[in-house]
This record gives sequence, C-alpha cells and structure tokens, in this order.
Amino acid sequence: NIDPASLLPKLPKPEELKPFPTVCSTLFRGHEGRVRSLAIDPSGNCLASGGDDGTVRVWELLTGKQLWSAKIGDDEAVNVVRWRPGRDAVILSAAAGEDIYLIVPSVPDVNPKMEAASKELLDTGFGYATNATQALTANGQKKEPVAKWTRPSSRLQDEGVLIKITVRTTVKVISWHRRGDFFSTVSPTAQRSAVAIHTLSKHLTQIPFRRLPGIPQTVQFHPSRPLFFVATQRTIRSYDLQKQELVKIIQPGARWISSFDIHPGGDNLIVGSYDRRLLWHDLDLSTRPYKTMRFHSKAIRAVKYHKGGFPLFADASDDGSLQIFHGKVVSDMMENATIVPVKVLKGHKVKSALGVMDIDWHPREPWCVSAGADGTCRLWM
Amino acid sequence: MDTEMADTSALSSHYGQVQVHFTTNSPDIELPEGKRQLLVPTNVRRYGLSQILNSESMLDTPAPIPFDFLINGTFLRTTLEEYLTANGLSSETTLSLQYVRSLIPPLFEASFEHDDWVSCVDVLSSSSLAGTWGANVNVPVVLGQERILSGSYDGLLRLWNKSGQAIATSSSSSAGGHTASIKSAKFISPTQIASSSLDRTIRIWKYSEADDHFSGELKPVLELYGHLGGIDSIDVHGPSNRILSASTDGSIGLWTTAKNSAPAADEALISGPNAKRRKLTTSTNTPQRGPLSLISSHTAPVSAAIFNPLDSTVAYSASQDHTVRTMAPAEFGTFEVRELARKMKETAWLERLKETTGRGRRNQSVRDGTCRVWDLRSSRTGTKDEGNGVVGEAVYVIERESQKGKKRPVGGEGIKVYGVAWDKEVGIVSASEDKMVQINRGRGVTRPNDP
Ligand SMILES: [Mg+2]
Repeated sequence: NIDPASLLPKLPKPEELKPFPTVCSTLFRGHEGRVRSLAIDPSGNCLASGGDDGTVRVWELLTGKQLWSAKIGDDEAVNVVRWRPGRDAVILSAAAGEDIYLIVPSVPDVNPKMEAASKELLDTGFGYATNATQALTANGQKKEPVAKWTRPSSRLQDEGVLIKITVRTTVKVISWHRRGDFFSTVSPTAQRSAVAIHTLSKHLTQIPFRRLPGIPQTVQFHPSRPLFFVATQRTIRSYDLQKQELVKIIQPGARWISSFDIHPGGDNLIVGSYDRRLLWHDLDLSTRPYKTMRFHSKAIRAVKYHKGGFPLFADASDDGSLQIFHGKVVSDMMENATIVPVKVLKGHKVKSALGVMDIDWHPREPWCVSAGADGTCRLWM
Repeated sequence: MDTEMADTSALSSHYGQVQVHFTTNSPDIELPEGKRQLLVPTNVRRYGLSQILNSESMLDTPAPIPFDFLINGTFLRTTLEEYLTANGLSSETTLSLQYVRSLIPPLFEASFEHDDWVSCVDVLSSSSLAGTWGANVNVPVVLGQERILSGSYDGLLRLWNKSGQAIATSSSSSAGGHTASIKSAKFISPTQIASSSLDRTIRIWKYSEADDHFSGELKPVLELYGHLGGIDSIDVHGPSNRILSASTDGSIGLWTTAKNSAPAADEALISGPNAKRRKLTTSTNTPQRGPLSLISSHTAPVSAAIFNPLDSTVAYSASQDHTVRTMAPAEFGTFEVRELARKMKETAWLERLKETTGRGRRNQSVRDGTCRVWDLRSSRTGTKDEGNGVVGEAVYVIERESQKGKKRPVGGEGIKVYGVAWDKEVGIVSASEDKMVQINRGRGVTRPNDP
C-alpha cells in the first residue's frame, strides 16, 4: 500500500505562487443583517450583494461606495444575486422568497444604449408567455404553470427591477448558462420542481427532472459542453441536456454538499461541504475525489474557481475565514493538478455561528470578494 | 591622501573611520574640489553628517541647512557602520554620499468638511498651471486668494478659500449639474473648470466671484457626452482648450472646451429610455457636445490619463490592464506601450497617475488612507516580487487628521485618499473618504520645479 501523497511532487512555497489575494482592501457596509450572496459584474467594475434585509445593492468595487439599491424582499431575505454573463447587456438576477427578479440597475456601465439593449433582452419574451399553450392535467383542467413571468410593482420598475418570475417555493440558487439565455434555479423544498430552467428570450420555465435521488442543493452548467450538473446532499450528477440522459455520478464522499464549481477547462471540479470538507475531482480520472482537504473548523458554504486566467480557487467557511488555493490544471491527462493552500483570509466576524456566506472572483484580477454574516462584504487583493 | 578632517574627534574615540566622497546635484551648495573627500567616524548618522557638512571648515553655511544623504539611491537611515555591515562592505571602501536638502515633514494645517466622500481636489494659485494659463485672460491669482476646488460623491463641486470658507457650490442635477458622483475636477483657468463624473459626462463650468471674493458662482456652460462608463480621471490643458479623460469603459477621450469646434454629441447617449425622468426635471439648456476623439487602446478600465506637464502634445494613460501607454493626442496614435507587472503596489500606482518630471518628488494618494511624499532621487531597482521596474520609498507619510491617534482601519475603511494636489502656495491638499479636504504644509516640501 503506497501513500498517494508520497507520489506527489514537492509542493512549491506560497511565495513562489504569487499573485493571490492577501489583504482586505475595501469594506462594503450598508446591509442590515447577513449578506447572503454577492457577485462581481462581468466588467469587473461593480459588486452586487443581497442579504437578510431584503435588499439588493450594487457597489463601486474599488471604493466600496454604494451606487444603487432596491428592496425586493418584504419579509424575505435575498438569498442569491448573480449577473447574467456577457458584455452585451447588464442584467442582474436576484431571488427573494419564491420570486426571482431580473434587474437593470442604474450604474455607470448602464449607459442609455446598454440600457435599451438590456431592456430589449428582458422584454422580447413577453409575447411567448401569452401565446404558449398550457399543458392540461389528466382530468382536463389547466395545469398550474411552474412559474409566472410578470412585471413587478411600478415602484420596483422605476428602480430598474423589470421582471418578476414567481416559482412555488423559496429559491436558494441561481446559475446562468454562459450564453446568457438560460439560467437555472434551485428551490430545495419544491420536491419534483426543485430544479427549474428558465429561458429568458421566451419567458419560459421548464422542469428538466421529475425524479431526483435526494434534495437538490445547487446546479451548474458546464463551461463549454451541453452538460448540466446537479448536486444533491451526497452526489453530483451530470446530465447531457441534448440527449436528456444521465452521464456521470460524482461521489465526493461528503455528507452534505453545500456548493461546487467547475474549472473553466471543464474537466475538474471542486466541492465544498457542510461537514467541512473541500474536495477536488478530476472528472477524467474517477468519480471519487482526487484530493480531500479539511482545513476549516466549521462548514464550508461556498467554493469558487478564478475564471480569468489565474490558477486560483477559494472556499468560504462559517469559521469566518476564506482559504485561497493555488491549483494548476495541466493539460496532460495522466498528470494531476497540484494544489497548494496559499493564504487564509481572516476578518469577517462570526455571527450566530455563521461566518462567510459567499465568495466570488474578479473576472481579470487575482482579487476575490466575500459576503459575511457580519453584514459586510470585503474585497481582498 | 589629501583629505581634510572635520572636528569630529569627540565622536570617533572608539569607532573606526571610513572614507566618504560628497557629491550633490545642487550647484549652490557644492563643496570646493579639495573638500569633497573626507574621513568620517563610522558611527555617524544623517544628523552628524549634516553637521559636518554645515561646519566652518566645509560649507560654512550662515544658517545650518539640514541635509539628507543618498547612497546608491537609498536614503541613509542608519549609522555608516550599520550601512557598511548591512551591505557587506569593508571600512576600506570609499562611500559616495549624495547630499540633498532635507524635507521637513508637512504639518497639518486645516480640514474642510463635506457631506460625502471627497474624490478629487485641485488648487488655483499664481504658481499652479491653471493660474499661469489665466494670464491669457488677464486675471492673475492674487497671493492670498488661492482657491481650492473639491469634487464629491454627492455630485457637487465646491470652491474654497484657504481659510476653509465655501465660496461657491455647483448646481444640483436638476439645474444642470452632475447626476452622479464626481470623480475628477480641474481648473482650466481662474474662470473655467472641468469636472467628470460617474454619470459618464464631463462638464465645463464658468466660475466668477463677487467683488468681495467671499461668494461666487459656478455656471454650467457645456456638457460632453461620449464615454459609455464612469469617467474616473480628467486632465486639462488651458492654452489649447483640451481635456483628456479616462473611463471605466476602457477608452480615453480627447475633448475641446470650445463649444463651436466640438463635434455634435451622440443623441443616443443623452436621451436613453430612462432619461425621461431626468429630462422632466432639467430646467437648463446647457449645450451638449461629443469628443474630438475616443481611443480604446486599453483592454480594461482606464484609471488615469494625463498630459505631459512639459509637453502637452504627449499624454499618458494608466489602466487596470496593467499597462501605461504614451500617446500623442494630436493624432492619438499609440507609439509606446510599457507593460507593468501585476502587483498590488503597482495597482495602487495605476489608480493615480500623477505628473512626474525627470527629477524631483512625486506625491501619491493611496488606498490605506495616507498620503505619501516620494522622492524620485531615492529609488532602486525592484525585485522580481515587486515586478521589477523602479521601486521607491516614501519620504513622508501624511496621515488623516480625522483619524488622529486611532488605529489604521482595515482596508483603509473610511479614510482612503482619492485625490491629491500639491501647490507651492497652499501645500499638499488631499481628498478622502473621511469627507474632508485636508491641507498639510511644510518648509522644504515644495514641488520639484519650484525655485
Ligand atoms: Mg487531468
């Protein structure tokens, strides 16, 4: 029996793996209560955040100045904020309770031309919704649609919140397809309709899976192939969207998966779990993790790869820290990624046993942002 | 060897001696040929060396001039002994000491309170560029009537006198003012000001003062449209009426303040679908124009663009794409591109590209809530870690008065410095997240090209 660790090459020192974020350089203060989710926009100029106070906010990334905000949840927390990918429009999606909102916030990047283009993308689907024939149930009654696409209140419309999609139960996850026409949402308590796929250009919501072996936690589109990944508590399944079939069952060995992310190259995957595990999977290699790490003393809530050219990834934990890793994926099928923990970022205070709730990377720079239960977001450089 | 020995015997009793060679770039304080070589005790520091230089047998200065000493581009901060040890040199070496007049730390003078974060400052004085450009219009800046211009995140420009009295405030968004935070503002002349904003516009203002100089008016005269994102930085050149701008949209703009020679503005950028609300409330009819030229040579947001202060036909831009570019704005051709390394320090540097000259000092505002004075004479080649290039050490660090005695906050929270102006008459004026314009002033801390 050979210890696989002994076969690994000697790890380089963190100093040799620069750049990676090392210090907090901006704080974003304004949320009352926990910040649950955050995302840097595709241009890298703005940060969006959402939290327990029911507001979505957009900030100037480098200064921490709040540029825009809207209250979309009356008594509901904003559980997730995600930007639509692409530079052809500026659209922010956010979910509070069972409502998903599509927003064109008035920030500097949204010039009148961009605003018109963004609004057009949001509005083209209105015709489809009314023309679509509704499915009938077995006894001939009109089936209740899985989602309703409507205009929100005029107060919200004035603030740039232009579309409201209402599903059946609380939405916890939004995940966009890279082309920006589809996005998927997860409502873990919705049973059969827990995972939904929404088509922006048609204002259409579909339920791709009627039977899932467990409670869905989170989903992702593959960065380049027509594959769709669904994580339940114990496993991650990849499906071929075109052939409508199951491709692979990934078994991280964690008891309760909280999050996962797919490497931009498409063949590697990181998984974070509430039982404090961080796992790296090489999809070419095995359905079992290639590396299991336990560095945090509390649950891991979010994991994310850098998508702008740096071999970095990070995780966020309820112990109040983020850990930054260097993980270089080599093109050689036989060689595995070298994973080196390079930095622990501390600063968020733990509140009611919750620490860092979400993380994101800058699209170009080796900088990351974190959302805290302490009500702050932080930019790390 | 023919060396003179200054009266330092008291210091040298149980210390070694080292041969030094004094040099300077200032002809007025140059030593006679025969006195430049000297044997000095190795336990002396800057102060001792300064005393030696001032002594009767050396420069014989009527009043002592405090000196600093550069060895190989680094200021001497230790004893010579410690320097020799640190650099692995024997006391047989002859050390070349370049002496320069010491800089006195700039002292806090005043703070002017704002309602919101202050993003930028500029100074109008008889020695400021705009002050000299004002000569054309025959309105010289009277000593004591210097003006400080500040731009704020509340979207307003304010003009102050040196005692901190607000003389004028720009109009609100409903009366022709900016509709979002101001990011940059500059005097073009004593009567003309340019400002840029997150609202994607540059606005030109006519400035006039009442006869008693205690009140004034800022009247919007021109709105410039063309950028697709916020405009972080502008620079102006009065004699040619030119404005240079840097935007988060990744482009650099060249504009004219002359309404009649400016191209028409792109209507689509003025009245978008959302402009209705704004239109209804706008009561002014400020003319609107477009850029002379927009160039998208950077691949990421542009943080700063400046004219070469010695030659306005050359301009520089700095971007988050980690490059500094040199341009000849006349034709806007890019003829030199220099890649800077990915490094946090460099990033801070790129945020505020300040005018530099071949010699002298540079002033920089940084994210940690301090204002640093750099001496370009003190520089060394950076390590690989620092991204190579030339690395300097700050001579003085000006802290925020609002933060006095408190621990420096994480991430410079609440005290980040966004703008700085350096004026011979007024001092070092800085703009910060602490909602203050702060003035610091010190003897000897003057701009390099001042006499
Ligand atoms: Mg592989």
